Parts: sequence; C-alpha cells; structure tokens
Amino acid sequence: MTPLLAGVVVQDDGSSSSVTSAPLETLSLSPPSLAPHSPWVRELKSDERGLCLIHLLLDCASRVASGGSLDPANAALEQIALLASPDGDAMQRIASHFAEALARRAIRSWPGLCHALDSARVLPLAEAAVARRHFLDLCPFLRLSFVVANQAIMEAMEGERVVHVVDLNASDPTQWIPLLQALGARSEGPPHLKITGIHEHKEVLHYTAIRLSEAAERLDVPFQFIPVVSSLDNLDIERLRAKTGEALAISSVLQLHTLLATEDVDGHLRKAQRIAPISKLSLGEFLEKDHLANAHSTSAESASPQPTRIQSFLASLWRLSPKILVVTEQEANHNGQTLKERLVEALFYYAAVFDALDLTVPRQSVERLRLEKKLFGEEIRNIIACEGLERKERHEKLERWRQRMGISGFRALPLSYCGLLQARRLLQCFGWQGYKVKEENGCFMMCWQDRPLFSVSAWRCNLVESLKKRSTSVVP
Amino acid sequence: MATASPSVPFFGVREEEKLTTQQQRPQQSSSSTPTAAAPPKKKRNLPGNPNPDAEVVALSPKTLLATNRFICEVCNKGFQREQNLQLHRRGHNLPWKLKQKNPKEVRRRVYICPEPTCVHHEPSRALGDLTGIKKHYCRKHGEKKWKCDKCSKRYAVQSDWKAHSKTCGTREYRCDCGTLFSRRDSFITHRAFCDALAQESARIPAGMNAIGGSHFYGNTGIHLGLPQLSSQLSSLQEQTHCANDGAAPFNHVTLPSFRPPQSATPFYLGGGSSQDIHEDTQLLQSKPFHGLMQLQDHLQHNTNASSSSSAAAATDLFNLSIFSNGNNRSTITNSSNSGINQNAHLLISDHFNNASGSNEPHTLFAGNPLIGNHMDANMFDQSVNTESVPPHMSATALLQKAAQMGATSSCSSASSLLRGIGSLYSSNSKNAGFQASATQVETESHFQDLMNSLTNGNTGRFNGGNHQKTGFSGFIPGIGNMNESKLQRNLSAGGLGTSDSLTRDFLGVGSMMRRGGITPREQHLGINISSLDPELKSGSSTRSFDGGSLLIAITVLCISKRYL
Repeated sequence: MTPLLAGVVVQDDGSSSSVTSAPLETLSLSPPSLAPHSPWVRELKSDERGLCLIHLLLDCASRVASGGSLDPANAALEQIALLASPDGDAMQRIASHFAEALARRAIRSWPGLCHALDSARVLPLAEAAVARRHFLDLCPFLRLSFVVANQAIMEAMEGERVVHVVDLNASDPTQWIPLLQALGARSEGPPHLKITGIHEHKEVLHYTAIRLSEAAERLDVPFQFIPVVSSLDNLDIERLRAKTGEALAISSVLQLHTLLATEDVDGHLRKAQRIAPISKLSLGEFLEKDHLANAHSTSAESASPQPTRIQSFLASLWRLSPKILVVTEQEANHNGQTLKERLVEALFYYAAVFDALDLTVPRQSVERLRLEKKLFGEEIRNIIACEGLERKERHEKLERWRQRMGISGFRALPLSYCGLLQARRLLQCFGWQGYKVKEENGCFMMCWQDRPLFSVSAWRCNLVESLKKRSTSVVP
Repeated sequence: MATASPSVPFFGVREEEKLTTQQQRPQQSSSSTPTAAAPPKKKRNLPGNPNPDAEVVALSPKTLLATNRFICEVCNKGFQREQNLQLHRRGHNLPWKLKQKNPKEVRRRVYICPEPTCVHHEPSRALGDLTGIKKHYCRKHGEKKWKCDKCSKRYAVQSDWKAHSKTCGTREYRCDCGTLFSRRDSFITHRAFCDALAQESARIPAGMNAIGGSHFYGNTGIHLGLPQLSSQLSSLQEQTHCANDGAAPFNHVTLPSFRPPQSATPFYLGGGSSQDIHEDTQLLQSKPFHGLMQLQDHLQHNTNASSSSSAAAATDLFNLSIFSNGNNRSTITNSSNSGINQNAHLLISDHFNNASGSNEPHTLFAGNPLIGNHMDANMFDQSVNTESVPPHMSATALLQKAAQMGATSSCSSASSLLRGIGSLYSSNSKNAGFQASATQVETESHFQDLMNSLTNGNTGRFNGGNHQKTGFSGFIPGIGNMNESKLQRNLSAGGLGTSDSLTRDFLGVGSMMRRGGITPREQHLGINISSLDPELKSGSSTRSFDGGSLLIAITVLCISKRYL
C-alpha cells in the first residue's frame, strides 16, 4: 500500500508498518480505562480491532445480562465507542449497532429513560420505506424472493381464470409488476388479477395501488387492487376470503415472524416491574433465572396448550384454502429466550449480512449507511433490547416454520427447478457475486457465501392430510 | 365532412357502416353542420352532429345492453326489434300489428349516451341511430366479453371481435413484453409505454427475471444487429452460471473479467429505446436450457485449458486481465497495461476474447444517459479503490476466529459464549487445531479479498444507477461518491498499488485452488503455507507475500498464548 493512500483511506490505517507487540498487550478484555484518543486505538489493524470489538461486545452483554451495577457495562460500552463506528468496516459497523442495542437493554430497568428515548425515535414512514427500498437495491434477497415467489405463483395458477393474490405486506409494488407481466404473457391469456394489499398505512397502499394499476393498464391485464388498511395483528382474515372461482395465493415476505411476538412467560412480572420501579438487582437476578430455566428450549410456544397468535393466524389462512402460500423468512434463530442466545445468533447473522454489504457496496455509500441503521440496526435493537410484545423481530429457522406450518395444516409445495434457475440467473445477470441460492428439501436458501440468510418456501393446504395432522396434533 | 372526435379515434370509422342507412334522410338544416354547405349532395349524419330538431332519446344502460328487448309473453322469447316480435306473435295466433312507417310523421331520433362523463352524453353530440349508441355504450362503457383466442385482445361488441378474428395474426406486431398487436399504431403507442417499463425493469432485475427472463437476451441482439455477439454473450452468461455452480476454482477467477452483466445491462437499456422487436425472443424463451446444455462443453474446454497451463503464471495474467479489461471498458486508455493485457488475451480462449471485445457495443451506447461514462468510470474506480486498501477479515471470519479462540482458551468467559455456536458456523469445525483454523481464516480472507476487488466495481455501478433513478436518494451522494473514488484512483495510479494487488490476488487464487481441492498444485501450496508457520511462531514480523493474514495469525497466536 502506498504511503500516499494511507492518508486517504482513514479507517483502514492498519498499515504497512509491522505490528509490534505493544498494541497486542492492550488487547485484554478489560483494560483499566482508555484515554479517548489513546494512540493504540488508531494503530490497531482492522482485524485486531474486530477481535477486540467482539470481546468487548460479549463482555458487555454478559455484564448487562448479569444485571448488577451498570458500571462494568458502561465501561465496556465506552471502549466499544472508541473502536466502533457506523461507517467503518463491517465489524465496526456491527459493533456500533450492537452497542446501541446493549445500551438500551441496559437501561431497561429505568422505564422512564427508555420511554423518553423511544418516544423520540418513532421511525417516520418515509424513512422506513426508504430503508426498505435500499434493502431491495443493495441486497439481492428481496428480489430473489420475488422471483421465486412469482414463479411459484405462476405455476400454481396455471389455467386459472381469476387469480387473487394476497400480499401480507404491500409496501411496494415491485414484486407484482413482474407477475403482471408474466400473467399478461401467459399462453392461455391473462387471467383477471386481483391483488389484496395489506399494510398499516393508507398512503403506502395508495402508492402501491397506483403503480400496479398503471402497470396493469399498460400490460392490458384485467386488474383490481383491494387495499386493506390493517396491521397483521388485527387483520380480519375473513375479509380476504376469495369469491367462488377465484384461485387464492398468499405471499408473506418477512412478515410471519412478527406474529410470534407474545407476552413473555414473565410478561406480567415485567410489566409490574415497569410500573413500580425496581432495583437493578432484581432484574439481574431475574435474567439470571432466565438463563438457567431456558437454557436450550427454543419453543416455549409449542409447549403452551392454548393456540398462539401465529397458530391461529396460520389456521385462519388455511381456512381460506389458498392454492399456494409463499413465505420468505430470515433464516436465523433470533427468538431465543435468553439475551445471550439471541446476541450470539444475531452477531453471526448480521456479521454475514454486513460482510455481504461490505463487499458489494462502497463504504461511503449513504444508502448503505441508511440501510444498516434504519433496517438492520433497528432489527438488532429489537432483538437485543426488547422483550414481550415489543420484540417483533423473532426470526426463526425454516425447520421451526416447517413444524408450525405442518401443525396448521399446510403441506410443503416443492419449489421448481425453473425457479432456482431464475434466481440464479438474477444473481448472475446483475453481478451479485458471493450470493448464492441453494435448494434444500424443496425450499430455497438465499445465502451469502455458504451462510443461509433467508429462506423461501411454498405451502399449500391439503385437506385430508391436514385433517389427520390436526387430529393428531390436538391430542398432545 | 367533419372528423370524428379525437377522443374516440376509430369510433367514427366504425360507425360509418351503420350510418349509411340514413343517407336518404334529407338534410334539413345545413347550417347545423359546418361542412354541410360545401357539398350539395346528401350528407350522412355523423356522430356528434345530430339534427337540431331531432328528438333526443336517453336510454338507460340496461336497455342499451339488453340484447332482446321485446319479449313474447307466451314463450318468453326475446327479440331485438319490435317488428320481429310482431311477426313472432303471429305464430302464437296472438294479435299482431306491423307498424306502418310514415316518413312524414316520424321524427328523427337521436340517442345520447347515459354515461355522464362521456362526450356523447351531451344532446348536441348525440348519436344518430340506436345500433350505434348500443355499440358505443358497449365498447366504451361495457364489459369486454369477447376475447380473441390468438392474441387475447378483448372486445365488447361481438361484431368487432369477429372482424378482428378475421385479420388477427395476418399482420401482427409483437412487443417483447409479450403483447400482440394487429395494428401498427397501437403497437407504437404501446411501445412508448413499454419502453419506460423495460427501462424500469432493467433497473429492477426482478422485473425481467420474473418469467420470460430470457427475452432480453434475444431482444438485445436484434436491436444491435450483432446477433452473433449477443449469442456469445448469452452463452457466456450461461457459462458463468455453470461456473458458479460447479466447484471449478479457476472459473471464479476468470469469470469477473468478462462479467456479462456489465455489457448485458447497457445492451438492454440501449435496446429498450429502439423500436423494432422481432420473433427471436420466442425462440429463446421456448428453449431456456438450450444454451446451458451447449455450454457445458465450453466450460469443460476452458477448465481443461486452464489446468494444463502453468497455474501460477496463468492466474497472474488472468488477474491482470481483469483490471486491464476494466480499463478498456471505462474508456480510460491506459497504455501502461496494454502490453500485459495482450499477453493475457493470448491465454484466454476465443470466447473470452470475443467477450472482452464488448467494449465495442459499450461505446455504441456511450451516449445513453442512463449508462454514461461516469457510471463506468465510477465502477472501475471502485474496484481500484478497494483493491488498494489493505486486506481485512470479514466480520464472519472474525467471529469464527473469536469462537475458536474461545475453544482453545477456557478462561475467557466471554468468548466461550461463542464457542458452541461458532463451531456450527465454521466450515472447518472438525479441525479444532489452531493452525488449521488460522489457515482456514486466511483462505477465506483471501477469497473474500479477491471477491472484494472484483465485486465492488459492479455493484458500485449498480448503486450509481440507483442514485439516478430512485426518487429517495438525490444525486449528491452519488456524485460525492464518484469524486472521492476518482481521487483515490488518481492517488493509486502509481505502479505500487497494482503490484501489490498482483501478489495478493495471486495468493487469493492459490488459496482458492487449495480450497477447491482439484489440482495437485494445491497440496504444494498447502505445504508452503504450513512451512511458514515455524517462522510465525518465532515471532518474526516479516511481511512476506501477504502481510495481512500473517499478521492476523500472529495476533491470534499472541492472544491465545495469553489465554493459555
């Protein structure tokens, strides 16, 4: 590396100079205290810095989880702040988001502080939309999911005269324009297409409706858009019921996991704590108990006797008897009971996501910053800092979804090879190097390198089988 | 003769046949129609120019749509005309009466459209006959019940559909979006919109990849008039596809320098704006796998060629060709590289030569605002930029290493958190040994480093495209980006940066080959690396061919020593 360049690339001044042992000495887990601009911080190579950050994060997390005084956690966060930066290399970026999340977690015992901070950070609709748009543009995952889902829908709807698609999150029309094109070019002629879009915000639906109607007009496909302003929680599923002769397809892109949010087992207790300020110690004890009790149980919910929200939601979807239900979900287990589990899982998961961005998007990119902050950062914050109903980002792996779908009467519908080819062609045509699509038991995994990050799966309801399953599932 | 109202361009034409029946009607007031004064002969009553003294009739939509208004009370048979019903009643022995027309008594009737928004709702624009208004209402405000089997075009009036069916397919215009047109004017109108759509879907990859994703290959070739080039391109795309699937490590290296999308995207954009579309699209669509099958051969051919050549030298040159090709493409003539460039071309097989000649079509479209030179320059800059920053480990690799360090040291409570899960993610979890993990991480960092230098360029450009098109993000960030990277490129233009990248990429290739586990060379390399380990342990901080990862190894050593 030229000395000239070293001046330009500030964040990577890890340098041609050989690393002496001096900085390494300071790599201990808890250096006493750091002067804000101590020279070693700047001299650290990015790898050393990364390792250091990981240790600090884990250290901080265990302090936060163990409760007690906030001082040690505070010290760890202080050091993280020196090393992390939201616009540095991947590890620095991750660390800055996790540090924020941990800080919020740490002050959970002061509900007043939490509320004050949270009230100021309500994400404006536009910002969320922009972040999602960046996710669409900077990562191939959404597009891959769209391509695969559309292909599956096209195959399932072959020969249908009236196609009704329910989009559980109609936040943008990007997915459906290609479907309109495909249906318009169908050899047996375009069907009548109805799309029911569900979203909390009327404006979003309005925008989607306009874009889709324009496209349908252009493509000469008979089209109708039915907006349903509702959140998934309060959705009246019977409203979605297809009329006679309509073939129903349901698409869920990164939506179902939000329905996993339940009042925790300890929810009441925690609520009580919120109202009456409690000592930090009791929360710490509480978390400790948490650790011990649910060391490796991932499914508190499947054990609970009464149907959970997700089960009743899936059951009502099943009652609509869709021809196909396409589900895209994060392939991660961010629904662990303990903070520790979630933190480690999330670290690995978002490390891969941020790596992917780091290698495909320039660091200075404003879009990337925004995406990382407003989308991934928010997710991380939610996973780490929230509990109970507030914790919406309860990503779970496909295996868990498979069980859940089975219980609700759905049967896996293997995705076709054609879909796989199209997904791969998409990656290859647009130079998405390093991203992969893999087939696994009829579902597709969208990976960064070899790490699956998102899954797409298709389901259909089989009356007989599901009835059997239902009867057996009720017994235990 | 007045023309039809512009809002219904062919309406008047259609009406003509119907209206000829009224020719005998005397022109009562020549002043009512502006053109009536000129020709002395009898005029037809054109739509929208009724007689002023005609009786204006407003029929309800139901009546207009009813096919059989006159129902026989005995057998419920319906008739369109009252006269027919009367004749029918005769069969039932019911009283019947045929109306006698008295031309003097009969007032002319004109009919208005019941649709309030329609121009023919105005009595002054009423239509002159009942059949006309019925058809008008059907066509403009009714359901299109009749569909052409060939082109799926729908008609509200059966006679229109019949007329269309006779000509459909005899002369047709097919848009690459799949829509068929039997009329050239409607085709052109459609194209105006469809081009916008095509450009948008070029930006939105999902757009073109939905179903008929292959259509743009064929499309572009025809537009450019370079069919053979395009076929080669598409074959290349298929080929890279194979390369992605297969484990052949060599292809990972060669692929990016001829990365099809760089040329395919501008092709497509350029193609979208021109007018002619022809049938080759169908051909490609119908045989999506054909190219793939064919190209397995090419792929094999290439891998054979590569493994037979001396690996180290070859990869060196190939790597170089990556960047020198980039130079060609970005229209910055960089003469210093040209010699090596040619060497590289010698090693590359014919297909690749052709493909790297794709700077030719690129210049064809240099004027296109969407893919201006800035974009490409930006793209290239990015790759230079990333290539010259020192190698760093990915966050994933760091986590894996932290986890493995946790595994080797038991005293650190924090890092032991990572242990269990970390082993799940590290692909090398069997070799818990430290050396193995270090080299594995090293491999990865090389690999990703290489990826880094190759991928960034492309997405950089992709990104740039977004700057221009997405409404959310203005121009400024994109430009700022560009300037900065340009600056960096200028700074790194010295020879040093390049040579640095050479060695590093060479290593990257080496480690990839080791990873792929194909050639005998890999073992050699593996030994090489491990033979360096004693050196490492002795703590020598020499920066041999790759400083970055060796230093990492040292770091790890030191850390683990402390933990132990």
